[in-house]
Amino acid sequence: MERTQLKNISISGSGTSSGGEFNQVKVNGSAHIYGDVICEEFKCNGSAHLEGNITTDTAKINGSTHFEGDVEVKEITINGSSDIDGHLLCDELKVQGSSTIKGDVKGKEIIVRGSASVQGNVSSDEIDVKGQVKIKGDCAAESFEARGNFKIDGLLNAGTIDVELLRHCEAKEIGGENITVKKTRDASGFKKLIKFFMSNHTDQLTVEVIEGDNLYLEHTHAEVVRGNTIEIGPGCDIKRIEYKTSLEVNPDAKVGTQEKI
Amino acid sequence: MENLISKKDLLEEANISYGQLYRWKRKNLIPENWFIRKSTFTGQETFFPKDDILLRIEKIKTLKDDLSLDELADMFSPSPTLTSLSAEELTNRNIVSQTALDMFNNFHGSNQSFSFTQVLTLYVLNSLLQTGDVNRAEGIDLLKLFHEQALTVKSAGSELFFIRKMGVSFFILTPEPANLFLEPQAKKIAHYKLSQCIEELKLKLS
Repeated sequence: MERTQLKNISISGSGTSSGGEFNQVKVNGSAHIYGDVICEEFKCNGSAHLEGNITTDTAKINGSTHFEGDVEVKEITINGSSDIDGHLLCDELKVQGSSTIKGDVKGKEIIVRGSASVQGNVSSDEIDVKGQVKIKGDCAAESFEARGNFKIDGLLNAGTIDVELLRHCEAKEIGGENITVKKTRDASGFKKLIKFFMSNHTDQLTVEVIEGDNLYLEHTHAEVVRGNTIEIGPGCDIKRIEYKTSLEVNPDAKVGTQEKI
Repeated sequence: MENLISKKDLLEEANISYGQLYRWKRKNLIPENWFIRKSTFTGQETFFPKDDILLRIEKIKTLKDDLSLDELADMFSPSPTLTSLSAEELTNRNIVSQTALDMFNNFHGSNQSFSFTQVLTLYVLNSLLQTGDVNRAEGIDLLKLFHEQALTVKSAGSELFFIRKMGVSFFILTPEPANLFLEPQAKKIAHYKLSQCIEELKLKLS
Protein backbone atom coordinates (compact mmCIF):
# COMPACT_ATOMS: atom_id res chain seq x y z
CA MET A 1 0.00 0.00 0.00
CA GLU A 2 1.07 3.54 -0.62
CA ARG A 3 0.12 4.36 2.93
CA THR A 4 3.44 3.05 4.21
CA GLN A 5 5.31 5.44 1.97
CA LEU A 6 3.60 8.50 3.36
CA LYS A 7 5.69 10.63 5.67
CA ASN A 8 4.80 12.20 8.94
CA ILE A 9 5.15 15.88 9.49
CA SER A 10 5.61 17.42 12.88
CA ILE A 11 5.83 21.13 13.45
CA SER A 12 7.13 22.04 16.89
CA GLY A 13 7.87 25.64 17.55
CA SER A 14 6.91 27.81 14.66
CA GLY A 15 6.95 26.53 11.12
CA THR A 16 5.33 26.53 7.75
CA SER A 17 4.45 23.86 5.23
CA SER A 18 3.14 23.95 1.71
CA GLY A 19 0.76 21.09 2.39
CA GLY A 20 0.61 17.78 0.62
CA GLU A 21 -0.09 14.16 1.39
CA PHE A 22 1.01 12.78 4.73
CA ASN A 23 0.41 10.00 7.17
CA GLN A 24 0.35 12.13 10.30
CA VAL A 25 0.37 15.87 10.71
CA LYS A 26 1.19 17.11 14.18
CA VAL A 27 1.42 20.70 15.29
CA ASN A 28 2.78 21.48 18.73
CA GLY A 29 3.67 25.11 18.35
CA SER A 30 2.35 27.34 15.68
CA ALA A 31 2.02 26.30 12.08
CA HIS A 32 1.00 27.91 8.84
CA ILE A 33 0.12 25.54 6.02
CA TYR A 34 -0.31 27.12 2.62
CA GLY A 35 -1.88 24.36 0.56
CA ASP A 36 -4.28 21.44 0.74
CA VAL A 37 -3.57 18.62 3.14
CA ILE A 38 -4.50 14.97 2.80
CA CYS A 39 -3.56 12.81 5.75
CA GLU A 40 -4.60 9.98 8.05
CA GLU A 41 -4.30 11.89 11.27
CA PHE A 42 -4.25 15.58 12.04
CA LYS A 43 -3.41 16.74 15.50
CA CYS A 44 -3.00 20.28 16.68
CA ASN A 45 -1.90 21.13 20.19
CA GLY A 46 -0.84 24.68 19.50
CA SER A 47 -2.21 26.88 16.84
CA ALA A 48 -2.54 26.06 13.19
CA HIS A 49 -3.61 28.02 10.17
CA LEU A 50 -4.48 26.10 7.04
CA GLU A 51 -5.12 27.97 3.84
CA GLY A 52 -6.40 25.04 1.82
CA ASN A 53 -8.78 22.15 2.22
CA ILE A 54 -8.08 19.20 4.44
CA THR A 55 -9.09 15.57 4.09
CA THR A 56 -8.20 13.31 6.96
CA ASP A 57 -9.37 10.26 8.91
CA THR A 58 -9.14 11.79 12.34
CA ALA A 59 -8.59 15.32 13.47
CA LYS A 60 -8.00 16.35 17.03
CA ILE A 61 -7.73 19.98 17.92
CA ASN A 62 -6.56 20.81 21.40
CA GLY A 63 -5.31 24.27 20.64
CA SER A 64 -6.74 26.60 18.09
CA THR A 65 -7.03 26.17 14.36
CA HIS A 66 -8.26 28.13 11.45
CA PHE A 67 -9.19 26.21 8.30
CA GLU A 68 -9.80 28.46 5.34
CA GLY A 69 -11.13 25.71 3.12
CA ASP A 70 -13.39 22.68 3.46
CA VAL A 71 -12.79 19.99 6.04
CA GLU A 72 -13.55 16.38 5.21
CA VAL A 73 -12.93 14.02 8.09
CA LYS A 74 -14.27 10.82 9.61
CA GLU A 75 -13.82 11.79 13.21
CA ILE A 76 -13.09 15.26 14.47
CA THR A 77 -12.73 16.34 18.08
CA ILE A 78 -12.40 19.99 18.94
CA ASN A 79 -11.26 20.59 22.49
CA GLY A 80 -9.91 24.03 21.90
CA SER A 81 -11.29 26.40 19.39
CA SER A 82 -11.65 26.00 15.71
CA ASP A 83 -12.79 28.15 12.82
CA ILE A 84 -13.75 26.60 9.52
CA ASP A 85 -14.46 28.96 6.64
CA GLY A 86 -15.68 26.24 4.31
CA HIS A 87 -17.96 23.24 4.76
CA LEU A 88 -17.44 20.48 7.27
CA LEU A 89 -18.18 16.95 6.13
CA CYS A 90 -17.72 14.32 8.81
CA ASP A 91 -18.99 11.11 10.37
CA GLU A 92 -18.50 12.19 13.92
CA LEU A 93 -18.06 15.71 15.22
CA LYS A 94 -17.38 16.39 18.84
CA VAL A 95 -17.08 19.98 19.99
CA GLN A 96 -15.92 20.33 23.54
CA GLY A 97 -14.52 23.77 23.15
CA SER A 98 -15.83 26.29 20.74
CA SER A 99 -16.19 26.15 17.04
CA THR A 100 -17.38 28.42 14.26
CA ILE A 101 -18.21 27.05 10.83
CA LYS A 102 -19.05 29.39 8.00
CA GLY A 103 -20.29 26.75 5.59
CA ASP A 104 -22.61 23.77 5.98
CA VAL A 105 -22.07 20.90 8.37
CA LYS A 106 -22.94 17.40 7.30
CA GLY A 107 -22.37 14.49 9.66
CA LYS A 108 -23.73 11.30 11.13
CA GLU A 109 -23.21 12.12 14.78
CA ILE A 110 -22.74 15.61 16.10
CA ILE A 111 -22.02 16.11 19.78
CA VAL A 112 -21.66 19.58 21.22
CA ARG A 113 -20.51 19.98 24.79
CA GLY A 114 -19.25 23.51 24.44
CA SER A 115 -20.40 26.02 21.94
CA ALA A 116 -20.80 25.74 18.21
CA SER A 117 -21.89 28.27 15.67
CA VAL A 118 -22.76 27.39 12.10
CA GLN A 119 -23.62 29.91 9.42
CA GLY A 120 -24.86 27.38 6.88
CA ASN A 121 -27.17 24.41 7.23
CA VAL A 122 -26.63 21.45 9.53
CA SER A 123 -27.67 17.91 8.75
CA SER A 124 -26.85 14.78 10.66
CA ASP A 125 -28.42 11.52 11.84
CA GLU A 126 -27.97 12.50 15.45
CA ILE A 127 -27.40 15.84 17.08
CA ASP A 128 -26.75 15.99 20.80
CA VAL A 129 -26.19 19.36 22.41
CA LYS A 130 -25.29 20.07 25.98
CA GLY A 131 -24.12 23.60 25.69
CA GLN A 132 -24.89 26.14 23.09
CA VAL A 133 -25.49 26.06 19.35
CA LYS A 134 -26.27 28.79 16.92
CA ILE A 135 -27.33 27.87 13.41
CA LYS A 136 -28.06 30.49 10.77
CA GLY A 137 -29.57 28.05 8.30
CA ASP A 138 -31.75 24.96 8.68
CA CYS A 139 -31.04 22.03 10.94
CA ALA A 140 -32.11 18.51 9.97
CA ALA A 141 -31.58 15.32 11.96
CA GLU A 142 -33.24 12.04 12.77
CA SER A 143 -32.78 12.80 16.43
CA PHE A 144 -32.15 16.21 17.95
CA GLU A 145 -31.46 16.31 21.64
CA ALA A 146 -30.58 19.51 23.44
CA ARG A 147 -29.97 20.34 27.07
CA GLY A 148 -28.99 23.91 26.84
CA ASN A 149 -29.28 26.86 24.65
CA PHE A 150 -29.92 26.97 20.93
CA LYS A 151 -30.78 29.51 18.31
CA ILE A 152 -31.79 28.30 14.88
CA ASP A 153 -32.67 30.96 12.34
CA GLY A 154 -34.20 28.48 9.91
CA LEU A 155 -36.18 25.27 10.25
CA LEU A 156 -35.41 22.63 12.85
CA ASN A 157 -36.57 19.40 11.22
CA ALA A 158 -36.06 16.14 13.09
CA GLY A 159 -37.76 12.81 13.68
CA THR A 160 -37.42 13.09 17.42
CA ILE A 161 -36.86 16.42 19.06
CA ASP A 162 -36.12 16.35 22.77
CA VAL A 163 -35.31 19.68 24.33
CA GLU A 164 -34.58 20.79 27.86
CA LEU A 165 -34.55 24.54 27.81
CA LEU A 166 -31.87 26.72 29.25
CA ARG A 167 -32.34 30.45 29.00
CA HIS A 168 -33.86 31.82 25.85
CA CYS A 169 -33.96 29.26 23.02
CA GLU A 170 -35.13 30.23 19.58
CA ALA A 171 -36.05 28.64 16.28
CA LYS A 172 -37.96 30.02 13.35
CA GLU A 173 -39.85 26.82 12.68
CA ILE A 174 -39.87 23.35 14.16
CA GLY A 175 -41.20 20.28 12.38
CA GLY A 176 -40.99 16.58 13.07
CA GLU A 177 -42.65 13.45 14.39
CA ASN A 178 -42.20 13.52 18.17
CA ILE A 179 -41.41 16.85 19.73
CA THR A 180 -40.85 17.32 23.45
CA VAL A 181 -39.89 20.64 24.98
CA LYS A 182 -39.33 20.79 28.73
CA LYS A 183 -37.86 23.12 31.27
CA THR A 184 -34.77 21.74 32.99
CA ARG A 185 -35.88 20.27 36.27
CA ASP A 186 -32.75 19.52 38.21
CA ALA A 187 -31.40 22.71 39.68
CA SER A 188 -27.77 21.74 39.98
CA GLY A 189 -25.28 24.07 41.62
CA PHE A 190 -23.84 24.99 38.27
CA LYS A 191 -27.16 25.97 36.88
CA LYS A 192 -28.01 27.98 39.91
CA LEU A 193 -24.76 29.81 39.41
CA ILE A 194 -25.60 30.57 35.80
CA LYS A 195 -29.02 31.69 36.87
CA PHE A 196 -27.48 33.97 39.46
CA PHE A 197 -25.45 35.79 36.83
CA MET A 198 -28.15 35.77 34.18
CA SER A 199 -31.08 36.45 36.40
CA ASN A 200 -32.99 38.36 33.76
CA HIS A 201 -33.18 35.32 31.46
CA THR A 202 -36.02 32.90 31.90
CA ASP A 203 -36.01 29.45 30.36
CA GLN A 204 -38.17 29.76 27.32
CA LEU A 205 -38.52 28.69 23.71
CA THR A 206 -39.65 31.20 21.12
CA VAL A 207 -40.73 29.86 17.76
CA GLU A 208 -43.09 30.94 15.00
CA VAL A 209 -44.53 27.59 13.97
CA ILE A 210 -44.36 24.09 15.42
CA GLU A 211 -45.74 21.23 13.36
CA GLY A 212 -45.50 17.59 14.33
CA ASP A 213 -47.33 14.36 15.11
CA ASN A 214 -46.96 14.13 18.88
CA LEU A 215 -46.12 17.26 20.77
CA TYR A 216 -45.45 18.04 24.39
CA LEU A 217 -44.54 21.65 25.04
CA GLU A 218 -43.60 23.64 28.12
CA HIS A 219 -42.64 27.29 28.32
CA THR A 220 -43.04 27.69 24.61
CA HIS A 221 -44.08 30.91 22.95
CA ALA A 222 -45.42 30.26 19.48
CA GLU A 223 -47.69 31.80 16.88
CA VAL A 224 -49.08 28.51 15.62
CA VAL A 225 -48.83 24.91 16.84
CA ARG A 226 -50.19 22.16 14.63
CA GLY A 227 -50.22 18.42 15.31
CA ASN A 228 -52.09 15.18 15.92
CA THR A 229 -51.82 14.79 19.67
CA ILE A 230 -50.82 17.92 21.50
CA GLU A 231 -50.17 18.45 25.18
CA ILE A 232 -49.55 21.99 26.28
CA GLY A 233 -47.68 22.22 29.56
CA PRO A 234 -47.15 25.12 31.94
CA GLY A 235 -45.74 28.45 30.88
CA CYS A 236 -46.81 28.26 27.24
CA ASP A 237 -48.12 31.21 25.31
CA ILE A 238 -49.57 30.05 22.02
CA LYS A 239 -51.75 32.17 19.75
CA ARG A 240 -53.31 29.37 17.73
CA ILE A 241 -53.48 25.59 18.00
CA GLU A 242 -54.71 23.22 15.31
CA TYR A 243 -54.99 19.57 16.32
CA LYS A 244 -56.29 16.38 14.83
CA THR A 245 -56.68 13.77 17.57
CA SER A 246 -56.36 15.26 21.03
CA LEU A 247 -55.41 18.41 22.86
CA GLU A 248 -54.66 18.91 26.54
CA VAL A 249 -53.92 22.30 27.97
CA ASN A 250 -52.36 22.97 31.35
CA PRO A 251 -54.17 25.67 33.36
CA ASP A 252 -50.89 27.61 33.57
CA ALA A 253 -50.72 27.97 29.81
CA LYS A 254 -52.11 30.74 27.68
CA VAL A 255 -53.73 29.64 24.45
CA GLY A 256 -55.51 31.87 21.93
CA THR A 257 -57.71 30.00 19.49
CA GLN A 258 -57.86 26.24 19.25
CA GLU A 259 -59.38 24.31 16.41
CA LYS A 260 -59.91 20.59 15.80
CA ILE A 261 -59.36 19.65 12.20
CA MET B 1 -49.32 30.50 -12.20
CA GLU B 2 -49.51 26.89 -11.20
CA ASN B 3 -52.25 25.59 -9.01
CA LEU B 4 -51.17 25.75 -5.35
CA ILE B 5 -52.29 23.71 -2.38
CA SER B 6 -51.80 24.71 1.26
CA LYS B 7 -49.97 22.39 3.61
CA LYS B 8 -53.07 21.74 5.65
CA ASP B 9 -55.15 20.78 2.62
CA LEU B 10 -52.33 18.67 1.31
CA LEU B 11 -52.11 16.61 4.49
CA GLU B 12 -55.83 16.01 4.36
CA GLU B 13 -55.98 15.21 0.67
CA ALA B 14 -52.96 12.92 0.69
CA ASN B 15 -53.81 11.52 4.12
CA ILE B 16 -50.36 11.96 5.60
CA SER B 17 -49.14 13.53 8.84
CA TYR B 18 -46.86 16.46 9.50
CA GLY B 19 -44.22 14.01 10.67
CA GLN B 20 -44.22 12.16 7.37
CA LEU B 21 -44.02 15.36 5.37
CA TYR B 22 -41.07 16.63 7.41
CA ARG B 23 -39.36 13.25 7.20
CA TRP B 24 -39.66 13.19 3.42
CA LYS B 25 -38.41 16.72 3.23
CA ARG B 26 -35.46 15.78 5.41
CA LYS B 27 -34.66 12.86 3.14
CA ASN B 28 -34.80 15.15 0.10
CA LEU B 29 -37.79 13.34 -1.36
CA ILE B 30 -39.55 16.67 -1.76
CA PRO B 31 -37.51 19.44 -3.36
CA GLU B 32 -36.89 22.56 -1.34
CA ASN B 33 -38.29 24.84 -4.05
CA TRP B 34 -41.72 23.24 -3.81
CA PHE B 35 -42.14 24.79 -0.37
CA ILE B 36 -43.61 28.16 -1.26
CA ARG B 37 -44.15 30.61 1.55
CA LYS B 38 -46.98 33.05 1.47
CA SER B 39 -48.55 35.39 3.94
CA THR B 40 -52.12 34.65 4.88
CA PHE B 41 -54.39 35.95 7.61
CA THR B 42 -53.06 33.26 9.98
CA GLY B 43 -49.49 34.32 9.36
CA GLN B 44 -46.96 32.63 7.11
CA GLU B 45 -48.24 29.50 5.44
CA THR B 46 -46.56 27.01 3.19
CA PHE B 47 -47.99 26.11 -0.18
CA PHE B 48 -47.02 23.49 -2.75
CA PRO B 49 -47.48 23.13 -6.50
CA LYS B 50 -50.57 20.95 -6.31
CA ASP B 51 -50.16 18.52 -9.20
CA ASP B 52 -46.45 17.97 -8.63
CA ILE B 53 -46.68 17.32 -4.92
CA LEU B 54 -49.71 15.04 -5.10
CA LEU B 55 -48.05 12.99 -7.82
CA ARG B 56 -44.84 12.82 -5.81
CA ILE B 57 -46.58 11.75 -2.60
CA GLU B 58 -48.55 9.13 -4.48
CA LYS B 59 -45.26 7.75 -5.81
CA ILE B 60 -43.58 7.81 -2.42
CA LYS B 61 -46.50 5.99 -0.86
CA THR B 62 -46.60 3.25 -3.47
CA LEU B 63 -42.84 2.77 -3.62
CA LYS B 64 -41.82 3.16 0.00
CA ASP B 65 -42.55 -0.47 0.84
CA ASP B 66 -40.15 -1.72 -1.81
CA LEU B 67 -37.44 0.90 -1.66
CA SER B 68 -35.69 2.58 1.24
CA LEU B 69 -36.13 6.32 1.63
CA ASP B 70 -32.52 6.83 0.52
CA GLU B 71 -33.12 4.82 -2.65
CA LEU B 72 -36.22 6.88 -3.28
CA ALA B 73 -34.22 10.07 -2.81
CA ASP B 74 -31.75 8.86 -5.43
CA MET B 75 -34.59 8.22 -7.79
CA PHE B 76 -36.10 11.66 -7.37
CA SER B 77 -32.83 13.53 -7.44
CA PRO B 78 -32.04 15.06 -10.82
CA SER B 79 -28.49 13.74 -10.79
CA PRO B 80 -27.99 10.58 -12.79
CA THR B 81 -27.59 7.32 -10.91
CA LEU B 82 -25.76 5.44 -13.60
CA THR B 83 -22.96 6.41 -15.87
CA SER B 84 -23.63 4.42 -19.00
CA LEU B 85 -25.87 1.79 -20.51
CA SER B 86 -25.31 -0.45 -23.52
CA ALA B 87 -27.52 -0.53 -26.61
CA GLU B 88 -28.63 -4.12 -25.99
CA GLU B 89 -29.66 -3.33 -22.45
CA LEU B 90 -31.75 -0.41 -23.64
CA THR B 91 -33.69 -2.46 -26.14
CA ASN B 92 -33.82 -5.68 -24.14
CA ARG B 93 -35.27 -3.94 -21.14
CA ASN B 94 -37.76 -2.18 -23.37
CA ILE B 95 -36.62 1.25 -22.35
CA VAL B 96 -36.37 2.50 -25.93
CA SER B 97 -37.43 1.00 -29.26
CA GLN B 98 -35.03 -0.10 -31.96
CA THR B 99 -36.41 2.64 -34.23
CA ALA B 100 -35.47 5.39 -31.81
CA LEU B 101 -32.08 3.80 -31.29
CA ASP B 102 -31.44 3.63 -35.04
CA MET B 103 -32.42 7.27 -35.47
CA PHE B 104 -30.10 8.27 -32.68
CA ASN B 105 -27.24 6.26 -34.15
CA ASN B 106 -27.86 7.68 -37.62
CA PHE B 107 -27.62 11.15 -36.23
CA HIS B 108 -24.74 10.75 -33.80
CA GLY B 109 -22.87 7.90 -35.44
CA SER B 110 -22.94 4.37 -34.13
CA ASN B 111 -22.87 4.18 -30.39
CA GLN B 112 -22.59 1.15 -28.18
CA SER B 113 -22.88 2.67 -24.75
CA PHE B 114 -24.96 5.65 -23.75
CA SER B 115 -24.53 8.25 -21.03
CA PHE B 116 -27.46 9.16 -18.83
CA THR B 117 -28.19 12.32 -20.81
CA GLN B 118 -28.14 10.32 -24.03
CA VAL B 119 -30.46 7.72 -22.53
CA LEU B 120 -32.76 10.55 -21.50
CA THR B 121 -32.71 11.93 -25.04
CA LEU B 122 -33.54 8.49 -26.38
CA TYR B 123 -36.28 8.05 -23.85
CA VAL B 124 -37.97 11.34 -24.77
CA LEU B 125 -37.54 10.68 -28.48
CA ASN B 126 -38.95 7.20 -28.08
CA SER B 127 -42.06 8.28 -26.24
CA LEU B 128 -42.70 11.07 -28.75
CA LEU B 129 -42.43 8.60 -31.60
CA GLN B 130 -44.53 5.97 -29.85
CA THR B 131 -47.38 8.36 -29.19
CA GLY B 132 -47.22 9.44 -32.81
CA ASP B 133 -46.80 13.04 -31.79
CA VAL B 134 -43.76 13.53 -33.98
CA ASN B 135 -42.58 12.02 -37.23
CA ARG B 136 -39.06 10.93 -38.05
CA ALA B 137 -37.96 14.24 -39.53
CA GLU B 138 -39.18 16.04 -36.45
CA GLY B 139 -37.42 13.47 -34.28
CA ILE B 140 -34.15 14.53 -35.91
CA ASP B 141 -34.95 18.13 -34.97
CA LEU B 142 -35.32 16.99 -31.38
CA LEU B 143 -31.97 15.20 -31.48
CA LYS B 144 -30.40 18.36 -32.83
CA LEU B 145 -31.95 20.48 -30.10
CA PHE B 146 -30.93 18.13 -27.30
CA HIS B 147 -27.46 17.87 -28.74
CA GLU B 148 -26.99 21.62 -28.92
CA GLN B 149 -28.56 22.22 -25.52
CA ALA B 150 -26.89 19.29 -23.78
CA LEU B 151 -26.07 21.41 -20.75
CA THR B 152 -29.65 22.59 -20.31
CA VAL B 153 -30.89 19.03 -20.60
CA LYS B 154 -28.36 17.86 -18.05
CA SER B 155 -29.15 20.52 -15.47
CA ALA B 156 -32.67 19.14 -14.92
CA GLY B 157 -35.62 21.40 -14.39
CA SER B 158 -36.43 22.03 -18.04
CA GLU B 159 -39.63 21.56 -19.94
CA LEU B 160 -40.02 20.51 -23.52
CA PHE B 161 -42.88 21.69 -25.70
CA PHE B 162 -43.75 20.52 -29.17
CA ILE B 163 -45.94 22.98 -31.03
CA ARG B 164 -47.51 22.81 -34.44
CA LYS B 165 -49.27 25.48 -36.41
CA MET B 166 -50.66 24.87 -39.90
CA GLY B 167 -48.34 21.98 -40.45
CA VAL B 168 -45.22 23.77 -39.29
CA SER B 169 -43.79 22.25 -36.14
CA PHE B 170 -41.08 23.16 -33.70
CA PHE B 171 -39.69 22.30 -30.27
CA ILE B 172 -39.22 24.65 -27.35
CA LEU B 173 -36.92 23.82 -24.47
CA THR B 174 -37.37 26.15 -21.53
CA PRO B 175 -36.50 26.27 -17.82
CA GLU B 176 -39.13 25.08 -15.39
CA PRO B 177 -41.72 26.39 -14.51
CA ALA B 178 -42.64 27.47 -18.02
CA ASN B 179 -45.45 29.83 -18.84
CA LEU B 180 -46.38 29.61 -22.49
CA PHE B 181 -49.27 31.41 -24.09
CA LEU B 182 -50.17 30.21 -27.53
CA GLU B 183 -52.13 31.87 -30.27
CA PRO B 184 -55.36 30.09 -31.12
CA GLN B 185 -54.19 28.28 -34.27
CA ALA B 186 -51.06 26.95 -32.62
CA LYS B 187 -51.48 23.58 -31.06
CA LYS B 188 -49.49 22.18 -28.18
CA ILE B 189 -48.87 18.61 -29.33
CA ALA B 190 -46.63 17.42 -26.54
CA HIS B 191 -45.40 18.74 -23.22
CA TYR B 192 -42.74 16.99 -21.16
CA LYS B 193 -41.21 17.93 -17.86
CA LEU B 194 -37.68 16.61 -18.06
CA SER B 195 -37.47 16.17 -14.29
CA GLN B 196 -40.43 13.82 -14.51
CA CYS B 197 -38.91 11.98 -17.46
CA ILE B 198 -35.77 11.47 -15.38
CA GLU B 199 -37.81 9.99 -12.56
CA GLU B 200 -39.67 7.63 -14.89
CA LEU B 201 -36.45 6.63 -16.49
CA LYS B 202 -34.77 5.95 -13.17
CA LEU B 203 -37.70 3.87 -12.11
CA LYS B 204 -37.37 1.78 -15.26
CA LEU B 205 -33.65 1.42 -14.84
CA SER B 206 -33.72 0.45 -11.18
